[in-house]
Amino acid sequence: MGNLNKKYISPIVVGLGAGVLIIVPVIKGLGCCLLIPGAAIISLILEQKASNDYSKLEIKKGVIFGLITGVTAAIFGTAFDFIITLITHTNDLVVAFPQFLETLDNFPIDDAMRQEVISLLREVVESIKNYGFSPLYTLSVLFNNLFSNSIFGMLGGIIGVQILNSQNQKR
Amino acid sequence: MNLKIRITLFLLITFWVFGIFVEFFIPAQNYLVYIFPFLEGIYSTVCHQQPEKLIEINGHHTLVCTRCTGIYFGGLFSSFILLFVSIKNLNNANLILVASIPMLIDVALYSSGLYDYNRNIAFITGLFFGSAGIAYIYNGFKILRERDGKS
Repeated sequence: MGNLNKKYISPIVVGLGAGVLIIVPVIKGLGCCLLIPGAAIISLILEQKASNDYSKLEIKKGVIFGLITGVTAAIFGTAFDFIITLITHTNDLVVAFPQFLETLDNFPIDDAMRQEVISLLREVVESIKNYGFSPLYTLSVLFNNLFSNSIFGMLGGIIGVQILNSQNQKR
Repeated sequence: MNLKIRITLFLLITFWVFGIFVEFFIPAQNYLVYIFPFLEGIYSTVCHQQPEKLIEINGHHTLVCTRCTGIYFGGLFSSFILLFVSIKNLNNANLILVASIPMLIDVALYSSGLYDYNRNIAFITGLFFGSAGIAYIYNGFKILRERDGKS
């Protein structure tokens, strides 16, 4: 168990870091969709440095490291988002809600349909404003983060292995 | 990598790219409004979605910034090409490193205030990176399949 923990310590640590960074607007603005793939690549680099093993990496290892990085970032990112929302009683959804209403108003759709979507979102926004928490919002953030971060992490891991193998060949 | 997997990957990327433009399809397919908040949430995890950086056509916006749209379009373009052409020798990282340079230079220059964010530059630099990136992802899948004894 100890060895297993040691083996995957770098994607967990980098995933934790990425989890923090994905909720920092400036960093997210710069890193955008490359933040999680980048984190997966960094986890592979750190693992190589820690083990001092620069032999050829398997793609499978990249996929596993990317997945762990993505899942860890998703869990911590959601947790940090949850805590901040709980303290401040506001978040991206609350801030973007008026803009969202404007967008929905511009759609040439049935009014009943529009009202259905608006009332669902309004409920979530009101819950966040009043209690700093909405179960639906938290669950959807967790699902979204797990879904996209794990996919982008694995893709980053696949690309990262090929970049690192190419660089290690030159050594 | 066999054709079935390449078609599956192409369809998945097409589906992902379609999601970016969901706002454009809502006037024609009203029921898409129900998945609109959900998709916006999904894409918000992989893009900052700053309003001034989104592509806007006839009052409708993409769900990701111009650069991300470029990256995904590049991926879609490459995955379409890779339906007909197979990757032979991609044993170094030169292609992806070269393809990422214009994007990194653009990010560095506009972030430092040397010029304002330009959608055309962001889209084109993203397109280069996405096109190269998908080739490495396909190559990775190919290596994985070969290791498993499948072609």
